[in-house]
Amino acid sequence: MGIATSDKPFLDRVKEAEADKFMRASVAKAQDAQFTKRTEARRQLGNWEGWRDLSAQIRQHVIKHLPDYLEEFSENVQKNGGHIFFAKDGDEASAFIKQLAIKKKAKNVVKSKSMVTTEIGLDKELLTIPGLSLMETDLAEFILQEDDWDEPTHIVFPTLHKNRNQIQKVFEKIGYKGDNVPEHMAKFVRHYLRNYFMKTDFGITGCNFAIANNGMINLVTNEGNADITMAIPKTQVVVMGMERIVPSLKEAETLDNVLCRSAVGQKLTSYCSFSKGKEADEADGPDDFYVVVVDNGRWQMLNTDFEPMLQCIRCGSCLNVCPVYRQVGGKGYGSIYPGPMGAVLSPILGGYKEFQDLPYACSLCDACTETCPVKIPLQQLIRKHRYVEMDKLHLDHSMTNTMLKAVGKGTASPLLFNDAMRFAHVALEPFGKKTTPEDIKNLYPEGKINHLPAVAPKLAHGWVDVRDLAVPPKYHQNFRHWYHHYAEEEEHNND
Amino acid sequence: MTDYLKEANNPQNQEDFLNRIAAAADRPRHTLKDDPLVPVNDLPETTLAGKTQDELLTIAKKNSENVHVNFQVVKAADLGITLNNFIAEKEVKSLMLPSFDEQKWNDYSLGKWQESLQLDPIYYWEPSQGRQNIVNANASDAAIGFADFLLAESGTITIATYPQQGRMFHFLPTHYLAIIPKSKILPRSRQAMDYYQKAIQEGSLKTSNINFITGPSNSGDIEMVLIVGVHGPLDMEYVVVEDM
Repeated sequence: MGIATSDKPFLDRVKEAEADKFMRASVAKAQDAQFTKRTEARRQLGNWEGWRDLSAQIRQHVIKHLPDYLEEFSENVQKNGGHIFFAKDGDEASAFIKQLAIKKKAKNVVKSKSMVTTEIGLDKELLTIPGLSLMETDLAEFILQEDDWDEPTHIVFPTLHKNRNQIQKVFEKIGYKGDNVPEHMAKFVRHYLRNYFMKTDFGITGCNFAIANNGMINLVTNEGNADITMAIPKTQVVVMGMERIVPSLKEAETLDNVLCRSAVGQKLTSYCSFSKGKEADEADGPDDFYVVVVDNGRWQMLNTDFEPMLQCIRCGSCLNVCPVYRQVGGKGYGSIYPGPMGAVLSPILGGYKEFQDLPYACSLCDACTETCPVKIPLQQLIRKHRYVEMDKLHLDHSMTNTMLKAVGKGTASPLLFNDAMRFAHVALEPFGKKTTPEDIKNLYPEGKINHLPAVAPKLAHGWVDVRDLAVPPKYHQNFRHWYHHYAEEEEHNND
Repeated sequence: MTDYLKEANNPQNQEDFLNRIAAAADRPRHTLKDDPLVPVNDLPETTLAGKTQDELLTIAKKNSENVHVNFQVVKAADLGITLNNFIAEKEVKSLMLPSFDEQKWNDYSLGKWQESLQLDPIYYWEPSQGRQNIVNANASDAAIGFADFLLAESGTITIATYPQQGRMFHFLPTHYLAIIPKSKILPRSRQAMDYYQKAIQEGSLKTSNINFITGPSNSGDIEMVLIVGVHGPLDMEYVVVEDM
């Protein structure tokens, strides 16, 4: 399935999301809470636009010189005694880590939250090793794992779609006997995972930023699980998207500041850490430190209109302002990368065929572009996808193209246009329904259409499925007709 | 089946990968030296700059308390009493301490305090004990350690890993107290990073890990309800020594 989280059609997923009232209320609550926290954190920092300029510049500079920075990073990882493997796709990356786990005779593997390991399907690959157990240690990812590997709904808040009662039931399966109070459940997980941590021998983390000039890895969390994952196991594997690199600790510091404010409205999260394999005279930290640099289709963005997407620092703030995400949540997108960033990234990494609907899950309101801390023109890129799908790949096999051509001809011809005006009411009036007291007054004086027969064109269905269409006025009452007579009367009166 | 492990640190694996993305980008490699990063502004350096230590202390206190930290300012002579109060309040029976040399403890006027401790066990993070330190930290009710800096803007302590005070020293004990001299309060993360970057490059600091810790661990993963104390310490105290 790759980055897909569902094999259902897009509209089926949207319908399921529409019916999930708890999820929609949770997403709305999270968006509203994050709006307040994010705005305040950025205000307190001051000159937010200046910070965006600097952050975008750092990311653009790194992408421009990506091979050079990866080369420098690789040299330093090796100088520190570590190992680095460049994987051109997810299969190579997963195979490398699986072979390493077998070689190291890994029994108890711990992971800290990582989008890229989900992207390459690492968990399922590792679980094919006999006798190996795997534990996600981020609280949300742990909940999803114990709930039969349920899929995340947000890149920063993966369990937004679950309520406390559902989570209580998940924990009861592993021995929890308490109530549904979040603090009590978290305390149970703390003890459960601490016991596992103490016997772990193999740790896997993602990477917020790799530091080119010293070979360190920067990770940002609130729970502290990533730090334990980097300290107790004798072997640590860092999995990083190839673009997640910065020149030095200073640029990591700048980006951590905008990342934490944008992701969770905090000045810094509880833990921002910079680490590598342990020094000889230190007692903890990994003896063996491995980095797997993953391309997995990212190269397709280089030197194209989509290159700015490589600037993304996975803060999730575009999800938190998106009106479409607010309604359909992460599962509606059917990709591990949802929301506006997912609508741009998923068709590139997962293919247009599988994710062709996502660029249309967008109202083009541009709120995502405005909030992006690294200034990715998300809305422009979403429109660019639509262009590619329609004009380059011809993915729309419906009559839409023919219909739009007909509309073009009709609106360009006064004769045809006037005929359309003349018969619009007669043609559509049979599908109209009477207005109700709940409708806005005078919006539908001739009735409204909210259902069309199955044979109606897709273009028309696309309109009335999600919003009401007013029945056009009778010809003698339409605006053009009225204006024409009004102008004549005015002229007559002036004479 | 391909043996991918042989490809780690293999120059050919790296070159194939880098050449492929350079070709996709249609940009030549090794152009960085002629196009170094010149930042468009100096906001990281100038934000919150020019404050006195007293002003920074006031800002640090407010921001630390905002992230659920119990913040105290004491004189060096009273530090021992403050630590004893912490031990009593948290009902600490097993304590973890760093194994810095006598000079460091004396600098903080804690030489005699150490000798007067009546707790059993007291674990010292000793590099010679290897991974037993992790087991000891996990068995400790509390840790009392030394931070390198306190960042006023965010209420963050910064700590490099030292042989005498390892990574898990700051994570596994249930309660945690960090001691910071007032002179080590910095405006924000940039100034701390300037120090670490320079010290690592010059070789005066040899460490595998730097932690920026901003209050106790927390999570909002269950219905966005803030839970303080998840994997790391359940609570956190910063004690600023004002006459150091």
